[in-house]
Amino acid sequence: MDDIDAMFSDMLQEMDLLTQSLGEEAESAPLPKPPTIPGPQEMNFSVGFTDFNASLHDLEDNDLDALMADLVADISATEEKFATEKDTLKGSAPVAPIPSQPPSNLSFPGSSSTLRQATSSNSIAATPPPPTSKPSKEELEEQIKADKIKLALEKLKEAKVKKLVVKVEIMDGSSKTLMVDERQTVRDVIDNLFEKTHCDCNVDWSVCETNPDLQTERGFEDHENLVEPLSTWTRDTENKVLFHEKKDKYEVFRNPQNFYMWKKDKKSLKDMKEKDKEQLLEENFCGASVIVPDLEGILYLKEDGKKSWKQRYFLLRASGLYYSPKGKTKASRDLVCLVQFDNVNVYYCKEYRIKYKAPTDHCFILKHSQIQKESQYIRYLCCDDEWTMTLWVTGIRIAKYGKQLYDNYKAAVRKAAGSATWASRSIQASSSASTPSPTPKARAANGHAPQPAVETKGSSNQTSFPPPPASMETLPPPPPDPMLPPPPPAPPSTNKVNQFPPPPQFPQSSFPPPPMDDLPPPPPPPPEDSELPPDFLPPPPPIFSSCGGEALPPPPPDPIASLPPPPALQNFASAGGAPPPPPPPPPPPAPAPAASKPAGSVRKVAPPPPKRTTPQLAAPSVG
Amino acid sequence: MAAWDLTVTVEDLGPDAPPLQISVTSDLHIGGVILKLVEQTNLKRDWSDHALWWEQKQQWLLRTGWTLDKCGVHADARLIFTPQHKPLRLGLPNGATLKMRACFSSPVFRTVMGICRVLNLRHPEELSLLRPVEEKKKKKDKDSSEELYDLTDVPLTAGSVQALYNGMPAHFADSPKTEAVYKMLSVSLPSPAPEAIAKLYRPASIVDKTHIHTRWLDSSRSLMQQGIQENDKLGLRFKYYTFHDMDPKYDAVRLTQLYEQARWAILLEDIDCTEEEMMLFGALQYHIGKQSLSQDMVSSCQGMDDLESALKSLEVKMVGDGNSTDMLDNMTAPELNDHLKIFRPKRLTLKGYKQYWCKFQETSISYYKSKEDRYGEPIQQLNLKGCEVAPDVNVAGQKFCIKLLIPAPEGMNEIYLRCENEKQYSQWMAACKLASKGLTLLDSSYQSEVQNIQTFLSMQRSSSAAPTSQTDESINTHSLVSPRYQKKYKPKQLTPRILEAYQNIAQLSLTSAILKFLQIWQALPDFGISYFMVRFKGSRKDEVLGIANNRLIRIDLGVGDVVKTWRYSNMRQWNVNWDIRQVAIEFDGNINIAFGCVNADCKVVHEYIGGYIFMSTRARQQSDTLNEELSEHKTATHREKKNIPEATNGGN
Repeated sequence: MDDIDAMFSDMLQEMDLLTQSLGEEAESAPLPKPPTIPGPQEMNFSVGFTDFNASLHDLEDNDLDALMADLVADISATEEKFATEKDTLKGSAPVAPIPSQPPSNLSFPGSSSTLRQATSSNSIAATPPPPTSKPSKEELEEQIKADKIKLALEKLKEAKVKKLVVKVEIMDGSSKTLMVDERQTVRDVIDNLFEKTHCDCNVDWSVCETNPDLQTERGFEDHENLVEPLSTWTRDTENKVLFHEKKDKYEVFRNPQNFYMWKKDKKSLKDMKEKDKEQLLEENFCGASVIVPDLEGILYLKEDGKKSWKQRYFLLRASGLYYSPKGKTKASRDLVCLVQFDNVNVYYCKEYRIKYKAPTDHCFILKHSQIQKESQYIRYLCCDDEWTMTLWVTGIRIAKYGKQLYDNYKAAVRKAAGSATWASRSIQASSSASTPSPTPKARAANGHAPQPAVETKGSSNQTSFPPPPASMETLPPPPPDPMLPPPPPAPPSTNKVNQFPPPPQFPQSSFPPPPMDDLPPPPPPPPEDSELPPDFLPPPPPIFSSCGGEALPPPPPDPIASLPPPPALQNFASAGGAPPPPPPPPPPPAPAPAASKPAGSVRKVAPPPPKRTTPQLAAPSVG
Repeated sequence: MAAWDLTVTVEDLGPDAPPLQISVTSDLHIGGVILKLVEQTNLKRDWSDHALWWEQKQQWLLRTGWTLDKCGVHADARLIFTPQHKPLRLGLPNGATLKMRACFSSPVFRTVMGICRVLNLRHPEELSLLRPVEEKKKKKDKDSSEELYDLTDVPLTAGSVQALYNGMPAHFADSPKTEAVYKMLSVSLPSPAPEAIAKLYRPASIVDKTHIHTRWLDSSRSLMQQGIQENDKLGLRFKYYTFHDMDPKYDAVRLTQLYEQARWAILLEDIDCTEEEMMLFGALQYHIGKQSLSQDMVSSCQGMDDLESALKSLEVKMVGDGNSTDMLDNMTAPELNDHLKIFRPKRLTLKGYKQYWCKFQETSISYYKSKEDRYGEPIQQLNLKGCEVAPDVNVAGQKFCIKLLIPAPEGMNEIYLRCENEKQYSQWMAACKLASKGLTLLDSSYQSEVQNIQTFLSMQRSSSAAPTSQTDESINTHSLVSPRYQKKYKPKQLTPRILEAYQNIAQLSLTSAILKFLQIWQALPDFGISYFMVRFKGSRKDEVLGIANNRLIRIDLGVGDVVKTWRYSNMRQWNVNWDIRQVAIEFDGNINIAFGCVNADCKVVHEYIGGYIFMSTRARQQSDTLNEELSEHKTATHREKKNIPEATNGGN
């Protein structure tokens, strides 16, 4: 116990030092100044901007508030969680000695739905359940200790979470900037964009990437992670992220017969009964293994290193794309495998007739997602017409993703149905600050934006949210907590039960050391630990893998000094949490007991929005 | 009423005993006949399983209440008094032969249900019995040497609830012998010798494949009626390729036998697959074989629970240690440090491998000019996340190379790492493999990955030295692929290919490896199609009709191309004209087809189509206890339904 406390106070001090230096640094280097050291971390901050600078400029205007909201939502979610936990701990502390109180109840009384994930993450602490009905002092200490460790681990993890600021172009030419963290799936991002753009939320909306070098476009699948592919873009990339409707995204689920019975006359398939369609889907997607459409036919394959295209008879199988060599039969044993789908994605191409002298403009390529330029490792294929191309690309997607695709579709349909009803409702009640989205996350985001997202897109937000830009320009040193009077600063090493507040707070202050390894992630955006249990063990791999090979570990002070963004974001956080924006009153009964800390440490107290639930999906991919 | 003498042979009196003559009248019921018969034998034993078999008419007299008159039995009838349950040699999907008692008097459908109950196979409606391929050369000595499992002592239980005892149904837990049988049923058998595969019958063409299906028994008639004698050999196979409600928890035997059937279908080229698929099947077989040796099915089913509890205990441990410096230590992933030779193929360069000091950390390799330079800047750092890793190994030639294809914006960087020896290779290879998936050396699968690679290498060593020896440790890779690939590749060439495929599946548990195998099998384009040689009405040539679980396929015999597909969902009705042995089917939109079967009984085709249609009506979710009653009920109605056309046609 003592050595832990000691360690935490060490960390605390270190953090104070850090924040101080950070503040100084920030003052001496006004924000818009570009970073002097171009580290790989830059990529972590911006995507879709010509350079880092631009991203910062961009941040200053219209989308800032939206980003702010995101960030604050993140932070406040965690804050709330811990606040509530503390509350409950506090509340139960006096009762604790009462013999009848089961220990497990004592430690995690907050089993309400919003807290469910939080409590589930406490399983570490719950594992050594004291058999006695009387929770002794030691047990409570155990408890505190466990909480602290848990919190520290969460913080560690959060520190490693990669976040990107992504500029997304929308069809009408406008663009949105939003922050995406590596745990979010494309589905989450789409949901986010729905809130921001007020489109009709139908299932065809997709996030796509374009590559001007290769003239390609690919719609991300809903279950994919957005950060990962984007972080492999080169620094000077002109790639873009688009948000638009793609009719072919889920066409196979609306009209499976066109894909699975493609050989038949299309007219005869036109009025297939819904029941038969369902059965087709059931047969092909709900069995033990997904059945891939039995596509076969002549496609043109670009020859390696040449500008000539050769006709080949291709066949699609679940295991890959094959062609039958000249003079051989179509029998399986004679087929030659062109490519298997484990490591490649399929991309639509534009204007390859000019670029590569393709026979038609209906081309698609198969390549590893990291390849960004022309390469011998790319397979170029050309189809006679657009429909054939759609057929093959869709078939390949089915072969690659299998049932996941169908699950994505079903989720999208549910979502679309849900948001349709919500949208109509929210129009009636547009004056209220409540949000059109049914997701708790959305409420979190909008709760902090003074102009609820219900108001039309874009610029209106700009005026509505002055504080953050201001704080950004002036760059004050990390402000002392203006919001709530700090509770009595408890000495770090306490064994007493009724001094409960400290436990959560120490881990929090212990935060700085970990991020030193991997500075880029904006400071203490508190963990949304909803995914903690799956992610927790084994903890090291996810953490380390998340920062990959990028500059690991840079000496702590340097990156801080050289990289303005962290301070900026930090200030968002503190500014957003503390001052004017009227946050909806926190639902929890007790005021969030703000963590009290020695001066200088950064503290964010934000009203507790409901927790974000979505990242859970992304969690496994981290590991 | 006049009394007359009825001649009955009682089998239990011995083969040479003369038939008994009993005096009966025409209004005596069958039960009475049996009673008289038993009295006359003067043998005290349990006669309850015995019944009268009417040889000339090939039928059982099972209704004890019926009079002789009603049954049509007259003085010229020669009846045999014989047990209804007789031993049968059952060829299982895994190739083993099991001797067990089966009912010879009930319809094959019920007989199969009884067999499956004993074997603990759920959903017996998916299986059926078929006559074995006639062996051209009958070698007596070979027959006797055949390993025979015996379950004849196990009584056929009527109860449907299978109590588990020692992880197996109670009736298997009786003796070591029966336990061995259960193990044979529920654990996949080791890979066969390549020669054994080559020796077995393989269908060479689609015509050959049509012959397989001529051998199915009629499921509505009894074994005796179909000329099956005591101790005859029959094959038990999954007949309908639609596997309902597969659950590893309850289906240990079913899953294993299905896997075996699939495996043999692949090995014997019953179903075609590409080379890449064959390598993956080979790798999975190797993996399943290895896993089966180390653990049995029951424990592997609990794998997930084990994993969870292991995680729990690790959590406890971490909390218990409490010491946070420990915790931080734990998070620093271990490294590999060694001298390796690196080669980067480039155009127009003749540079070969050059030695560097390499450090594997996290998911990347950094290499330095020498060990002394290791604290400085590396010459290059390669992040392996998302890269392709391929082995380039020749044990005999002591070549241990790892080929890395590292994706970069400009394309893929090709880099070869050359290791000194097996040990070094397996460590680095495992690390590369994990890193490509974004995992570090700290990952729990690292050690097993290293192990896997080592055992696989030892396999290559032994296969090049002594090709035929087959022990647990070393399997000839030839036994994992079909004869076509045995001919095409030497084991030396095959091993790296299978190893490559193996890398991707090495981490699967036994059950998931089996499921994966089945999944890939089921995803093959030709999966689940049963072929019949037919002649369509109005056509002059023989064609092939493929019957799958959702459609009928008309296939051109010459080219093998699909001519037409009809789906059951569009089917209005189908009829069989038993006089001219023609199946007529009507589809939506006034499409009518009719065909006669060339080499199979059209009853088989009729049953197949009816079977699939019945299978598709099985409810998606059935609780386990209800299951049997329900399916029994359904199959009963199903049979009735199927019998209708027969009955009406009989009247014609």
